Amino acid sequence: MPDQRSLSVSETRSAPSAMVLVDHVSRFFQRGDERLDVLSELFLEIATGEFLALMGPSGSGKTTLLNLIAGLDQPSRGDVWVNQQKVSVMSEAQLAAWRTRNVGFIFQFYHLLPVLTAFENVELPLLLLPMSSKKRIEQVNIALELVGLNNRSKHLPSQLSGGQQQRVGIARAIVTDPALIVADEPTGDLDARSANDILDLLGELKTSLGKTILLVTHDPRAARRADRILYLDKGKLVAEPDASWRDGH
Amino acid sequence: MKYITLIFKNLRRNLIRSGLTAVGVMVLVLVVTLIWSILSFLDKATAEKADNLKGIVSERWTLPSQMPFSYANSLSDGSAREPQDARPTDAMTWQFFGGSLDPKTRSFENSLFAFALEPAKLLTMMDELDNLPAAQRDEFSLTVKKLEETRQGVIVGKTRLAKINRRVGDRITLYGLNYRNLELELEIVGLFPEGRYDSSAAMNRDYLNAALDAYPLTHNGEQHPLALKSLNLVWLRFPDRKVFEEVGQQIAESPFYSSPAVKLETASSGISTFLTAYRDLVWGMRWLLAPAILVTLSLVISNAIGISVRERRMEMAILKVLGFRPNQVLGLILGEALMLGGVAGFLSSTLTYLVVNFWMNGVRFPIAFFGVFYVPDAALWWGLAIGLGTAFVGSLLPAWSTRRVRVIDVFSKVS
Repeated sequence: MPDQRSLSVSETRSAPSAMVLVDHVSRFFQRGDERLDVLSELFLEIATGEFLALMGPSGSGKTTLLNLIAGLDQPSRGDVWVNQQKVSVMSEAQLAAWRTRNVGFIFQFYHLLPVLTAFENVELPLLLLPMSSKKRIEQVNIALELVGLNNRSKHLPSQLSGGQQQRVGIARAIVTDPALIVADEPTGDLDARSANDILDLLGELKTSLGKTILLVTHDPRAARRADRILYLDKGKLVAEPDASWRDGH
Repeated sequence: MKYITLIFKNLRRNLIRSGLTAVGVMVLVLVVTLIWSILSFLDKATAEKADNLKGIVSERWTLPSQMPFSYANSLSDGSAREPQDARPTDAMTWQFFGGSLDPKTRSFENSLFAFALEPAKLLTMMDELDNLPAAQRDEFSLTVKKLEETRQGVIVGKTRLAKINRRVGDRITLYGLNYRNLELELEIVGLFPEGRYDSSAAMNRDYLNAALDAYPLTHNGEQHPLALKSLNLVWLRFPDRKVFEEVGQQIAESPFYSSPAVKLETASSGISTFLTAYRDLVWGMRWLLAPAILVTLSLVISNAIGISVRERRMEMAILKVLGFRPNQVLGLILGEALMLGGVAGFLSSTLTYLVVNFWMNGVRFPIAFFGVFYVPDAALWWGLAIGLGTAFVGSLLPAWSTRRVRVIDVFSKVS
């Protein structure tokens, strides 16, 4: 019985050495009498410092998997471990606090707060941590410098280009020094040149800062920057993408 | 501090909406402040005092009270007959004289309504004039002295003087409105201190009584119809409630006041009696109008915050993704409403206080003895409290809805 096996593995397992362990996770949604299985018995390990790209057609379960790893959703079965912590048993409040310290998010549409300057947007997650104002300013400046935007710190998002806004988004993702960066189509809204710059920056985060990066993308060129590419299809990891989907890309 | 900055910046993101909401709050707080000012004044006037209380003697069964002036002396003494009888510490008689400056055209604009009394009592028995600040009291004492020295003198309130277009020193003839066919030649000797008596006037009672005494000489020996009804009220001051009750008993048991019968009641009770005619109006202001405005105020804020929350659901989700807890997001939204309501409310009540008290010299709202109302000092925090309270109530529901923003739903749309 797969259900029993996943449970027994979870209960007996000690904290894994991998940065991310998705341990025989299933996720289904109940809609009336109908059960929609999005992920089935999925097992995935991401090593510390690894840059992993996750690809797959729409509806394959990429976002669901991303949500589970980032602590935004809970699995129906199985366990998710991130940085040696069992995320799948945390309460909503615990997850919120955990996300601030452990996961950096990079979104396709940047999602910066329009009323805040670049500096203030980057500072936002730090407001949730016990930290002196001096230390906070120092960390924000370091993050902005890393993405090459310290000369734009007082600009509002509307005064920045798409690429620059995404850089601010990246600075916001790394400002709390999380071990895991989750990037959801980070180049999807950018021109080729800006996309290239952002991918260079992600590579830099891995090599210079040793961050573990999970990149969800439809773009094979972006995926090729990763150490490893995984394909997700109908809720399961597959070695190679389905021919029809691959040809479409 | 950073939260406050964030709240402030969120309010600034749609200046037109925030501005219009703030104006709406200010207007409604203005109306509530004015209503509460009037109610608070009336409550204060009708609140019973334990000591140094005032009483009013008036006709027992008829309104307006019209007693013979022969009652004046004994009532002023609390109807005391024996040395050991209880006595009031001070007393004042009131006779109302209303007259027009023009015998042909009688309108509110060219009329003067005066209390006829003993001038000295202005400083000891008249509400608010009996506890003027030292400098103002000294200045008004000179005016009162002039009235004592000028039997035909009259002191007029600033607003009334402007209304009849006269100045201090002018001589006027008043053609009786309630005292028909009685003409009084008066000299304006001074002004009331600015405030409650801006629309009033006070004259020497001796002159009115002398005019009533002289009336038969020019009217075929007939007395004026109001000659035996010229005493309207007698005000008495008591050191405590015990003396008040004893004097009340003395007056009630005295056979002297049988036609008409009189009654003694506390000033607050007397004023309440006068306010009976306005009971429904006051009740409506207190329990219908003010609450309706407060509910409207909550709805105005609720609407503005509701729209803002709906527009920013994605932003709320992003904040949650970044680690903000549901209560922190709720706090941000509540904070926006509280800042908007609190600041607008405080500004409104402060402006109302300053404009009404120092620029308009009170709100004209003639009711019972009162003609002008002032915004009390307490109103400075009313606005803040109304703004904060209605903002909290109005924004609670939209703010609470942000707790239910599911990050997973919003995030999947992004993906």
